[in-house]
Amino acid sequence: MALFTTLLLLAAALAIPGLIARTRACLAGRKGIRFAQHLYDVRLQLRKGAVYSTTVSALFRTAPSVYLASAIVAALMIPVGDLRPAIAFDGDLVAFAYTLALGRFALVLAAMDTGSPFEGMGASREALYGALVEPGLMLTAATLALVSGYTSFARIFAADATGDLQLAVLLLLVAYILVRILFTESGRVPVDDPRTHLELTMIHEVMCLDYAGVDMAMIKIAGWLKSAALAMLAANAVAAPLGGRWWIAAPLSVLLAGLSIGVVESTQARNKLVRNTTFILIIAAMAALVFFAAYLLRLNIIVLE
Amino acid sequence: MFFIYSLLALALLTALIFAVPLRAKAWTALALVGVGALRLAAEAVGVLADGTTHRLWTTPGTLFGGDSGSLDPLSALFVVLIAVGSVASLLYSRGYLRHTLAHKSSVHVSLHYTALATMCYAMLGVVCSDGGYSFLFCWELMTVASFLLILYDAERREVVRAALSYLIMMHIGFALLVVGFVRLHAATGSADFAALADCFAAQPALPLFTVFLLGFGMKAGLFPMHVWLPEAHPAAPSHVSALMSGVMIKTGVYGILRTTAALGELPVLRTAGFVLLFAGLATGLWGAILAAAQNDVKRLLAYSSIENIGIVLIGVGVAALGKSTGNQPMALCGIAGALLHTLNHSFFKSLLFFGAGNILSQTHSTSLDALGGLAKHMPLTAILSLTGAAAICALPPLNGFVSELLIYLGLFDGIASGSDPLASAAALAGLALIGGIVLLAFTKLCGTVFLGAPRTHCVAEAQEVDNGRIAAMALPLAGILLVGLFPRAATAAVVRAAGFFLPWPSDAVGLTLWPTLSAAGRTAWLVIAVVGLLVWLRRRALRGRTVAEGPTWGCGFTAVNTRMQYTGESFSEGLESIAAHLTQNRIEGCTVDKGEIFPAAHNFGIRRKDRIDRLFSAWWVELLRQINMRAMRLRTGKINHYLLFALAFLGLVFLLSILNLL
Repeated sequence: MALFTTLLLLAAALAIPGLIARTRACLAGRKGIRFAQHLYDVRLQLRKGAVYSTTVSALFRTAPSVYLASAIVAALMIPVGDLRPAIAFDGDLVAFAYTLALGRFALVLAAMDTGSPFEGMGASREALYGALVEPGLMLTAATLALVSGYTSFARIFAADATGDLQLAVLLLLVAYILVRILFTESGRVPVDDPRTHLELTMIHEVMCLDYAGVDMAMIKIAGWLKSAALAMLAANAVAAPLGGRWWIAAPLSVLLAGLSIGVVESTQARNKLVRNTTFILIIAAMAALVFFAAYLLRLNIIVLE
Repeated sequence: MFFIYSLLALALLTALIFAVPLRAKAWTALALVGVGALRLAAEAVGVLADGTTHRLWTTPGTLFGGDSGSLDPLSALFVVLIAVGSVASLLYSRGYLRHTLAHKSSVHVSLHYTALATMCYAMLGVVCSDGGYSFLFCWELMTVASFLLILYDAERREVVRAALSYLIMMHIGFALLVVGFVRLHAATGSADFAALADCFAAQPALPLFTVFLLGFGMKAGLFPMHVWLPEAHPAAPSHVSALMSGVMIKTGVYGILRTTAALGELPVLRTAGFVLLFAGLATGLWGAILAAAQNDVKRLLAYSSIENIGIVLIGVGVAALGKSTGNQPMALCGIAGALLHTLNHSFFKSLLFFGAGNILSQTHSTSLDALGGLAKHMPLTAILSLTGAAAICALPPLNGFVSELLIYLGLFDGIASGSDPLASAAALAGLALIGGIVLLAFTKLCGTVFLGAPRTHCVAEAQEVDNGRIAAMALPLAGILLVGLFPRAATAAVVRAAGFFLPWPSDAVGLTLWPTLSAAGRTAWLVIAVVGLLVWLRRRALRGRTVAEGPTWGCGFTAVNTRMQYTGESFSEGLESIAAHLTQNRIEGCTVDKGEIFPAAHNFGIRRKDRIDRLFSAWWVELLRQINMRAMRLRTGKINHYLLFALAFLGLVFLLSILNLL
């Protein structure tokens, strides 16, 4: 059971980058690269050797492993619809956030290890935006805990949520916030742009400038897993009022992440750097608002008909 | 009698340390403290295992009434914490002070070690006293001893300044505590903590609670009384900073815990819970943001201590709220999280201050922007400090994660059960933000000190420290790993100690916690296993392939040098632009102007000072000075004027007595 959940999540993780590329190609009127091109790219990277800077210490060589490990363990906590994940316990919401933070810690330090001004810049921004996004993520988790009465992802999404309009609206809002957190955490437009390399306003890609080969492949796979985990959470929230079955949630996660990221990247420009802080604080403010709305609904002060 | 015995013991201690030769003073102090602390710690472990209370001393009918000391599970937990912290600190002091022995007099060194040993015993006395005057005696002894400890480098002006401001602030706190205990004695006839519950029940509890909270909060570093911490810690020698930050400020937490536990009435407890929760949030956020803004290793660590005290108080607040609404899991998680975080913080903060001590003694600098690339010169220090930093960021698989998880669980219980959703959610968002900012602060610390390329020449001559100091650092490291990898066993001991706070049997409530903690422990092991597996796979994959070395990729720019590295200041620039109004900046030199096409040589330095400092020093000193200036106008130096004043005074007295006002 847990193995099946993990495989579904892995499949989603592998499919999302393909769908993003395909969506962007369609919207730009191009034929686009093949769907699995990113897998071929990573396979190529996995076969390469490496070049390390003379400045770096052993931490730089270990960091990609820690980053990937944190993404793997965090992804193991995510249920797919009503399927239980491999790791589930009361409070795994917190463990999820802090396991991801472990990866961030490793990658930020690795970037500082190169001594490059570019990577220091990226590290500094990653640390700041990572800090600012935490309250939003935690308040979203709190909303889920408030409406369901549970503190574990598995139990929250296994609870019956069908036929309740109020809950459906709330969960849609939660999913919306989670998608915005996904944009931030996976380094996508409008917060970050994975396509440009010599733009000073970049975050994630500039931190990995000195990585290549196996290390870069590990970082990429970790990024896919992280995106898939957050996308699956959003999909679960949308799927819960529809019965919350895994065969709804799993494809939904791919569609949700692939289409939203693809469409936003084709239609929007990246934020100016100073706007990023506002963008992320808006997520936290929305999360607080949704939490408050959930609280009012719980008190039966307002009733949606 | 207790006081007389204590003073006799103190005299003996002093005599012994002063008598032995210079090189043996550290060992003598270590032996003197080790014997007592370890014996008491052994007894404390027994108390924690079976949950009983051991009586340590009873002295009936002395000058100040009866006094007694005992070891209940709460005291036992703090005894363990103090014993580990003291022994580690003394062990570390030997190597750390070795190079200073040449230019300090023997008396000076003896005084330092006597104060160090006294401080350890005084702290043990504080947590073992049942309350009343023996508690105050030990408390004051602790303050005076720590004052002497800060003064080790008294030839430096700023050290004397920091020590004096510490002494003054501690005595304001002490005065508040005396007021509290005297009121307690007047109301119930006993000044013990045990009488506190009756006293709170008999009269309005909040005023007395506030007095105690402020008194203990001064020691703990509660916002806005934290200003002594970032001044005293950089001034003190590193092993003293470790002892003060890791252990001594916890006695303030101990006092707050005892006081809060005595609150019986539910509405009062609820108010106290809100006060503690929001005081904790304010302390935590302030500490975290200011820590991220600091450019000095020890100041950064001092602010991080303030932040951790905030987290502990959030836990206590959660527990009080849970207790007042009858939410048993919330109360237990809160108090267990607070206690475990107290213990955890003593481990990682001692470790980090020892790391800072190594940096200071090997490079003679603690300024972030003077260091860099130390990991290559001091690999063990780097690994140990990095572990401490990861633990303080509450990252799995280390100990900080376990205690913060418990506090989060308490908050989530408050939300999911609907007993306190709004306050819990506010604390949740605050705690999450604190966690994120702490990660920024410590990646800044480790990134600029240990990683990258050296920024100045002082790094190049740095060598790894002696094994004695590394051994001293291994002691807190063992604590970090034990709690992180076996969270269930560690929490079991803490839940026993949490019994004092809960009206319900804590073991029974704890049953719901065990599956969670076992799972958290398994997750910790899983993280380690996956990291290990990936490291091995990567190494296997790279075997036989070309692994070359070259310069850091500068995006096509080939003249990259170390001066272009990101500094600590630039690393936290983004956060500072948001939180600029929290600090008061003193800028030396100037930045490169935008119009300068060919920039000349510039010097730029920035020192971020706490705005709260003003509250305690600047504005009222200035006010006092102005009032003084006005009053000085009367002092003209002419006898005729003074005679006129005397006449005016007599006239005033006459007038007032006629009007019947005197």
